[in-house]
Amino acid sequence: MLPKFNILTEEQVQAIHENTMKIMEEVGVEFSYDPAVEVFKKNGQKVEGHRVFFDRKFVEEMVAKAPAQFVLHARNPENNLVCGGENTIYMPGYGAPFIHDANGKRRNATLNDYDNFVKLAGASKNLHMTGGNVVEPQDVPDEIRHLKMLYSHITNSDKCFMGSSSGYEKAKDVIELTAILHGGLDVIKEKPALSCLVNSVTPLKFDDRMLGGLMAYAEYGQPMVIASLVMSGSTGPASLAGALSVQNSEVLAGITLTQCINPGTPVIYGSTSAITDMASGSLSIGNPECSLFTSASAQMARFYGVPSRGGGGLTDSKIADTQAGYESMMTLLGASTTGINFVLHSAGILQYYMAMSYEKFMVDDEIAGMVGRYIRGMDFTEEKLAFDVIKAVGPGGHYLTQKHTRKNFKVEFFRPQLSDRQSYDGWENGELDANARATQRWQDVLENYTPPALDEKVKAEIDAFIEKRISELKK
Amino acid sequence: MSAIFDEIREAVIDGDEDLAIELAERVIEEKLDLVEAIEKGYISGIEEVGASWKAGEAFLPDVMMAADAMKSGMSLLEAELARTGGEEHEDKGKIVLGTVEGDIHDIGKNIVGALLTAAGFKVYDIGIDQKAEDFIKKADEVGATVLGASSLLTTTMRSQGELIEYLEEKGIRDKYKVIIGGGPTSKKWSEEIKADGWAETADEAVDLCRELLG
Repeated sequence: MLPKFNILTEEQVQAIHENTMKIMEEVGVEFSYDPAVEVFKKNGQKVEGHRVFFDRKFVEEMVAKAPAQFVLHARNPENNLVCGGENTIYMPGYGAPFIHDANGKRRNATLNDYDNFVKLAGASKNLHMTGGNVVEPQDVPDEIRHLKMLYSHITNSDKCFMGSSSGYEKAKDVIELTAILHGGLDVIKEKPALSCLVNSVTPLKFDDRMLGGLMAYAEYGQPMVIASLVMSGSTGPASLAGALSVQNSEVLAGITLTQCINPGTPVIYGSTSAITDMASGSLSIGNPECSLFTSASAQMARFYGVPSRGGGGLTDSKIADTQAGYESMMTLLGASTTGINFVLHSAGILQYYMAMSYEKFMVDDEIAGMVGRYIRGMDFTEEKLAFDVIKAVGPGGHYLTQKHTRKNFKVEFFRPQLSDRQSYDGWENGELDANARATQRWQDVLENYTPPALDEKVKAEIDAFIEKRISELKK
Repeated sequence: MSAIFDEIREAVIDGDEDLAIELAERVIEEKLDLVEAIEKGYISGIEEVGASWKAGEAFLPDVMMAADAMKSGMSLLEAELARTGGEEHEDKGKIVLGTVEGDIHDIGKNIVGALLTAAGFKVYDIGIDQKAEDFIKKADEVGATVLGASSLLTTTMRSQGELIEYLEEKGIRDKYKVIIGGGPTSKKWSEEIKADGWAETADEAVDLCRELLG
């Protein structure tokens, strides 16, 4: 495994921490949700209206209660994941309302797309989780969407997944469903099996919906990504160090709340901070500044002793083109080499989180494979140093017919599934570019994918729960 | 005397709101020509910024701060004009802008407001979470015929349609042009609610207003 590198000096980390403590103490953070404000009051924090002014010792103590790493449990234990330490977890994009099809048209995402992306992630060797909210299925009414989405993850794959954090009730629904899958609430309290994404409202706020979700996950001890997206230049300072301080204040405020509710609840320090395009005001994520925020966040998370989330295959491009490729490679490589643990948006995202593309998904899957291989680093056993075979071949020979070669190339070399390495003549046969090959590939994967079987009894219980909730929610 | 007009112009270009106000106060104190101060100072400054924006040389903070400086300074002179019974300065059209009921997002709306101002329109920004009545009230007060309604959430887009329904119910739909915008909105949505126009970007909103008020 490659050693993860730091982009900030120790003094710089300390400077961000100091600035953050000052912001939390003197500026404060606003929580619109009364139950959250009550928690802070009970814990002796100064509150004015909905604004909480934090005591720095208290924040430091609370953040220290969060675990440095934890295991996320899948229904197939082979797919359990360690979140934290040196590990890197890749998963699909999150939350896009649109699909950009290969024919160049953009359309609303549907539940069928949702199933497809979960299956593609389930089938992928490079993606470790099927993620959550992989698209926003607009053909499903909002009040029952969380149930349909979770059902897709449960039935289409046996990898770990994420659930809704959209308010207390929806969060509770998906927690209960996950409990049925794993054998009860007590089981998942011991062995966390569901995670979610809680976003702040920058600058320095959290809204009702997210706080409700946060409180439900915390009560049941399920892991949460507490994430902040500062748009440097519009919702935060245009200086990167200033924007990072705003982000850090929001994330620490959220983590503090989780630990007040349930000390030891697993949390992930999340960042999606990036910059504002100063000509249009829109978010811009496929750039070096976003990568700097991501890498700095990995380091701040290490400083606080919690796992980190950031980066992904991020781009501002509207289509799966060259720009999408080079921006995504930068943002995924940057995140992975500097030690981000949990990489949401690893595959499929276009246009600053607005759209998903099947072609881009397959390209990103390839990028994830390449980066995954890169961060695995070089293996240094005696066999790998290969003195014996070097001696056997001697000067001027070749290695193609050596047992050592046959044994090692399969484990040492990353085998691309999308990239073309043929001769010119070979390529000329079909003349397919990467996007055309990607189209073929995702269609092929979907056609040949069989979802892992789910225990009939468990499935019946899950079906019954969902049916009951849908009838209640549609009233 | 023209030196102060140049100073005003520069204050607007620099986005220096405090100075733009201070200079307006000086114009009033020294009883200089108010209309000339508006045109050679504030309007000239914002036109320059508008041209730089079109050329891709100015960016959002440049335009937004210039628009703020211009509006703050000019409003003092306009109040003075009204008080002394002078002729009102002629603008390219009046637009009431606001974020619809239930929605508190205003960055996009503010950008549109600044660009419209830089393009010579007179913008009345009524702020966030505004009911249909509030749009009409302001429009009637200032004599505006274009209503710009912004929404960022799929859950509050509905209010854009409600604004139009409100006008229909009151039988005053023909008096106003309603234009909409915001993240989840689309041309299709604007047609569905029978709006008079939709723009995806702030620049397109300026073109749309030119069309409607030109």
